[in-house]
Amino acid sequence: MTNDLYQSPLRYGATYEESSADGVAPRPHWAQLMESLRAIGPEELKHRWARAERRIRENGITYNIYGDPQGVNRPWQTDIVPLLIPAEEWKTIEAGVVQRAELLSLILEDLYGEQTLLKDGHFPAALLYGNPAFLRPMVGVKVPPHSHLHMLAVDLARSPDGQWWVLADRTQAPSGSGYALENRTIVSDLHPELFRNSNVLRLAPFFRAQRDALIAMAGPEKPNPRIVLMTPGPHNETYFEHSYLAKYLGFTLVEGSDMTVRDRRVFLKTVGGLEEVDVILRRVDDNFCDPLELRGDSLLGVPGLVDAIVAGNVAVANALGSGLIESAAIMPFLPGLARHLLGEGLKLKSVATWWCGQPKALDWVMGHLESVVVKPAFPAGGMEPVFASQLPEKEREALIERMRAKPHEYVAQEQVALSTAPVWENEGLNSRAVVLRTYVLNTPTGWCAIPGGLVRVAEATGSVVSMQRGGHSKDAWVLSDTPVDTFSMLRPRNEPLELRRVSRVVPSSVADNTFWLGRYVERAENIARILRSMAPRVSHGEASELGSLTLLHGCLATRHSKLPRRRAAVTYRSFEREFVSMLTDRKRPDSLPSTLHEISRIGGSVRERLSADMMLLIGQLRTAMDVDPKDPDPDYAAMLTDCLELLSAFSGMERENINRGSGWLFMSFGRRLERAVYNTRQLRVITHPLAVENWSYLEALLEVADSSVTYRTRYYTTLQPLAVLDVLLADETNPRSLDFQLEHLADLYGKLPRHGEAELAAMLDVVTRLRGIDLQAMRYPASGVKQGRAQNDLRPLDKFLGELEGMLPAWSNNLSSRYFSHARTLPSRMGQ
Amino acid sequence: MNYKVSHRTTYEYAYPVSVGNHVVCLKPRSFVDNELLSYSLRIEPAPVTLSERVDYFGNLLAYFTVQEPHKELVVEAKSEIVRGCGSACNGRDSLPWEMSTAALADDHTPEGLEAYQFQFESPRIKMRPEYAAYALASFTPGRTMREALLDLTHRIHTDFKFDSKVTTVRTSTEEVFKKRRGVCQDFAHVQTACLRSIGVAARYVSGYLRTYPPPGKPRLVGADASHAWVSAYCRGAGWLDMDPTNDVAPSDGHVTLAWGRDYGDVSPVRGLILGGGGHALKVAVDMEPVEG
Repeated sequence: MTNDLYQSPLRYGATYEESSADGVAPRPHWAQLMESLRAIGPEELKHRWARAERRIRENGITYNIYGDPQGVNRPWQTDIVPLLIPAEEWKTIEAGVVQRAELLSLILEDLYGEQTLLKDGHFPAALLYGNPAFLRPMVGVKVPPHSHLHMLAVDLARSPDGQWWVLADRTQAPSGSGYALENRTIVSDLHPELFRNSNVLRLAPFFRAQRDALIAMAGPEKPNPRIVLMTPGPHNETYFEHSYLAKYLGFTLVEGSDMTVRDRRVFLKTVGGLEEVDVILRRVDDNFCDPLELRGDSLLGVPGLVDAIVAGNVAVANALGSGLIESAAIMPFLPGLARHLLGEGLKLKSVATWWCGQPKALDWVMGHLESVVVKPAFPAGGMEPVFASQLPEKEREALIERMRAKPHEYVAQEQVALSTAPVWENEGLNSRAVVLRTYVLNTPTGWCAIPGGLVRVAEATGSVVSMQRGGHSKDAWVLSDTPVDTFSMLRPRNEPLELRRVSRVVPSSVADNTFWLGRYVERAENIARILRSMAPRVSHGEASELGSLTLLHGCLATRHSKLPRRRAAVTYRSFEREFVSMLTDRKRPDSLPSTLHEISRIGGSVRERLSADMMLLIGQLRTAMDVDPKDPDPDYAAMLTDCLELLSAFSGMERENINRGSGWLFMSFGRRLERAVYNTRQLRVITHPLAVENWSYLEALLEVADSSVTYRTRYYTTLQPLAVLDVLLADETNPRSLDFQLEHLADLYGKLPRHGEAELAAMLDVVTRLRGIDLQAMRYPASGVKQGRAQNDLRPLDKFLGELEGMLPAWSNNLSSRYFSHARTLPSRMGQ
Repeated sequence: MNYKVSHRTTYEYAYPVSVGNHVVCLKPRSFVDNELLSYSLRIEPAPVTLSERVDYFGNLLAYFTVQEPHKELVVEAKSEIVRGCGSACNGRDSLPWEMSTAALADDHTPEGLEAYQFQFESPRIKMRPEYAAYALASFTPGRTMREALLDLTHRIHTDFKFDSKVTTVRTSTEEVFKKRRGVCQDFAHVQTACLRSIGVAARYVSGYLRTYPPPGKPRLVGADASHAWVSAYCRGAGWLDMDPTNDVAPSDGHVTLAWGRDYGDVSPVRGLILGGGGHALKVAVDMEPVEG
């Protein structure tokens, strides 16, 4: 009896319920799971559900939805109850999807080769010539074996009679396998015992097969090829998956602009120079891959890529042009093509589909519009599926008119009453419509289907399941009747591991992003520290603090200040407003929340380079300064302290957990450079006349630089400007002194590949000059002394700091032009 | 008639270009009545790689990459062609136009398939009811393809004004159709769109046109331009060329360079460059008749 877990009575009859045939007793293969769920109990399941939600948030698993106000980084949603598929049933599905992949692959090879299917009339020529996904430059191009349809995704649905049907094929850059993997990780962790006892077929062998297949694509002469995963970028809806898979499979994640074609070969622009690319696993649509020969208005691709493919110098999976057979319009022809090409019938049928390009089909569709879904024949058409029965009269007529004008651009499909499966929602189980997306690989050793795949769950009301629209997902467990292969990607068996000390190459764009990640994290820390020092001075509202507030605020060097321009008009009220604005205003680019937002944005785009823990911190930082709108008096000081704690944790991980490769060097350089900028600014403020009489400021400065303890252990409580200067400027053992930053900047720069000797010499020269400043010999004006003359002593120091303030941005620019510039230049189009 | 054609394209950039990837479609196709005798391509600075390919439509394309920093790029093609007098006007008589349209879908012969592909939309040419309506005024029921084509060509020539100021290579066919102004390329697009909208397979042809100096003046070298016209498929008669810009059926004054679905398939020189800033373009075409 499982009904006690359901929130509402199980519906059955009209649709197929996966877990139960009669709405009361579980189907045999569900019995164990249902029993376990009941034993775990609703309370614990609620906990587990919450744990899964948290884990998703922490891992930053996201799915971007176009047109969604939440925009990028919407959390992925996973159910804690898997969909179960018994071994026998799986074998049938597997055979069906493998046959389909083989068939589609043969069609693709023919249409991009001899085109005999056109000549003998087996494939309607209109579906080729009228299809925008038919890439003419790819016809007759010899691509590596198994690459035409390296991976196929098939969407399956089960009708009320228990039959599985194919709803759609994804043939060019199928998404979702990475989410399936992540779902598995989460769900198997939530129910470890249940997972162990259920004898579930593992996913890892599928991904190992994928990696091996891609390695083989480079040819036998390249046993260690460079493989990249090409993504359209962080704004793509499945970017999380791209970075996740790149990390999991050990490939470099790149965008089109990270690559260039020279000598008919594809190269990756890295900080160490150009590195040849052998295999591209692409997540960029066909037409966007080469602006020279394909769609010219896109710059997502690599100019000259097609020519490099033609020359046989690079393999692309799936091969360019494979989108051709994604068209639902070919479904009605598949049974005939299967008999012709394979000599057998289709094992897994497609849902009834009519291509309106055939006059008879068009007539039938026009007579049955109320019972079908109308879709574009070619996915590039961009039209959403339409239920003609739900359209108002006028729109319906307009649709009919469009269909009659260009019938070959439309297909109609039967609506399937999707099967339902139990889904955990808040307090209990509900029954929701599901679609199973499964994957098949073409490998040198044969076709290989993922055991299970990604289950997508319809929203509570509709029966439309779509990733573009978001929605929930589930893991699918194929229950094996034999012992399962427990291979893990991290522990390959039987393979001698080649020891490598050099980690992956760093694309220029990644170096660029890590550099700025370092800078923004340091910037956030400095802003938070300065604001925290301002906090008590703002709230006490003592007149004596106005000077130190001015000086502290000067250290922020903010360009978007809300303070009055006239110094005389500056009051405590104005500081308070400025303080709150810096803490909360997201529209101000220099505010703390904006800086934290930048960290999260940049972190997201290099996520495959950061550990899960670091991404977790970045996720927390993103919301660290979120103020409860209902709180009349938020405790800003406490929030700042929490924020600083997260930033310190991040710094700790950066120091202790990141491999000291070039990626780290750039991040570290960014951090040192940013700290040097703030250091210089603070030190310059000390030489300001206002600071001379302002002990409170010196104290605040030591706080900001986290050097109060260092200072006190040396000088006890005597606050002397020169001593403060020594600690913050010249003390090379203080990790917050300027000397420390400059020395490390030179050191880090010297470790970078291809660094400029002249630039390095200039950096070292600055360190020497700093060390040549004799603080001991300076007389700092005492309080009350006429400032003009006394200031002269500090002039050389001020001059040095002034020069340094100009130099630091130049160092940043040098780094940029030497290492990142080609990552930022996009090609421009020329023509007549 | 024999011709020596030279087609030189010069790009001048404001800043040095570090890498340029280019495709050129400058080698004339060779067929009966348009026989290519010789061809050479000169590129400066010299590219590190150059490869030639035949595209899906049978045109001869060259791909090259210039990798040394350069502020000027010169691409010069020289060819010698023997042009016969074949023309739509003096060929065999043609069948009613409707017989060339409907049957194509079921014609799986190489010739049928070759023609059929030009019945569909292409990036720059969409089918529209207004194009169809315009075409149908010439394509009256039962009229022969040749007559109907000549009439449509004449009407476009009359209704559209030659004006090199109103359009660029990026102007859409829809806009040209609305404005009734443009250059040879625009008229070829309009006529192609009209034909496809009523189911006639039509392709875009790029080439050169012989020009005549004013009486008593010498021929000016390099003053010619590349030209474009249209070709329609007629069952039984093959492809019939029509030049709406000059209201003629091309004959030995037209040299064919390439054909495709629209300009995008056969643009003479295109490319993507890194760097360069703005660029200035100069094209010089010279078509010199030679005594055969």
